[in-house]
Amino acid sequence: MTRGAAAILLGAALLAVALMTAVSVGSTGTGWGEGGALAMLRLPRVLAAAAAGMALGVGGALQQGVFRNPLADPGLTGVFGGALLGAALLLGFAPEAAWERAWHLPAAGFAGAVAATLALTAFGSGGGSSRLLLAGLGVNAFTAAATLIVAAVRPGARETITNGAYGDWLGTASPETVWLPGLICALSATAACSLAPGLDRLSLGDDVAMTLGGDPRALRRRAALLTAAAAGAATCLVGQVAFLGLVAPHLARALAGSTHRLLLPMSGLAGAALLVLADMAGRSALPTGSLPAAAVMAAFGAPAFLWIARRRDD
Amino acid sequence: MTDAIARTEALGVTFGAVRVLDGVTLDVPPASFTALVGPNGAGKTTLLRTLAGLTRVADGDLTLPPPGSTGYCPQNPGCAWNFSLEELCSISPRPSEALAWCTRLGAGGLVERRLGSLSGGERRMAHLALALSIPAEPYGALILLDEPTADLDAARRLLVIEAIRQLSASGAAVVAATHDFGLARAASKVAVLAEGRLVAHGPPEQALNAEVIRATWGVELAPS
Repeated sequence: MTRGAAAILLGAALLAVALMTAVSVGSTGTGWGEGGALAMLRLPRVLAAAAAGMALGVGGALQQGVFRNPLADPGLTGVFGGALLGAALLLGFAPEAAWERAWHLPAAGFAGAVAATLALTAFGSGGGSSRLLLAGLGVNAFTAAATLIVAAVRPGARETITNGAYGDWLGTASPETVWLPGLICALSATAACSLAPGLDRLSLGDDVAMTLGGDPRALRRRAALLTAAAAGAATCLVGQVAFLGLVAPHLARALAGSTHRLLLPMSGLAGAALLVLADMAGRSALPTGSLPAAAVMAAFGAPAFLWIARRRDD
Repeated sequence: MTDAIARTEALGVTFGAVRVLDGVTLDVPPASFTALVGPNGAGKTTLLRTLAGLTRVADGDLTLPPPGSTGYCPQNPGCAWNFSLEELCSISPRPSEALAWCTRLGAGGLVERRLGSLSGGERRMAHLALALSIPAEPYGALILLDEPTADLDAARRLLVIEAIRQLSASGAAVVAATHDFGLARAASKVAVLAEGRLVAHGPPEQALNAEVIRATWGVELAPS
């Protein structure tokens, strides 16, 4: 067995342990309850965290691969922010429609993520890492501000939207709200793995990728759509989570190597395990109340980001 | 000629208002090694990228081999991620062939090393191995190499020249843009470019004569 395949198996085993542990741990104690009743209550939330974490981890690896930049995290470049803005607009201005059909909210998130991706591409491509990150910071700042404005002008949705901006939607997870976004997360993450050969070719630059038989423009379009689908669905489950799309691929790269055939599935496993553990820590660590999973992720992700930035040569 | 692997006829390429290639006619037959030489900015890289199908042609005709027959190594090959040499070779449509080329180019002992730990010359050999492995068959293949001997020590330079000879002897057409006159003199044909125009084309001793060198590079060679 190769080192990469062993790393994937290890990642899957660690995720299984994280899932088992997370359904056992509650805010007031541990255990599955009588007949597993407590575990069944926690299961939708844990599965939502796993699905969203997987989608955000794979989304991060996709965007890093497409932009050939280890700092290209959809959480930093505004794509996840765009997804939240899309969801917030629907929740704020058409709240009945938001819950009328299970696909409405993920679709709004998808549309917001696509719009953010278009803005990022229009302003950030073709000028190297600095332009991309500057454009991403601008898109991210805009989506964050617009989301808060929607919350401010639509008082009926204010609490829901603000909770989303804090990455605190996992607490509302139920089988009815989790199944479709969870399925979209799993499908988009699985479909993303089919882009691995193209992303490997793209790592050598557009010119060489084309002579190797790739079509970089088509690959970028497919990757952007899958990232947006993953972002839209994951955002409906958890709200906005910073740094997961950055940290999961870097952890995966350290464990399984850099080829996307292994990196994409490993990023999904790492993202799922990290968000499940962050949510578990958030709801059990403090005696006075729970912390959003996003806050726990940021507490660990921010130092990781600084470490990665420090290691960059350019 | 009808058997050329690639051909340009009165080819023109423009970038904005700048005409980078102008009226270039060049046949690239099988079993050949063509060296593109010329001063900086003469259009060598643009002609090579055009032969790789990477540049939009403004005017003239361009005939290229079928997709999958062209191997291209750019002037500054790079990789966004710190792949091992083995991982880099796995990107090729023929990974085992890429590894075999690594061995032939003297990098066989480096396959487990990461690109970031290699010297500039070792990295160039790795990217050359990848480019040379792309075509399925040497006969009919078009191998385009931009400055293949830059950054290389004398031994590696000889290995590259030997690899080019092997490929062209097997029926491939190799085209290399270079400032290395030693490499150019090993070619079967030399095409001299100046300001986007083909000013000389023929066997090295003919295309690189003292008059062409004086007119193109402004260097007066002492009579031998």
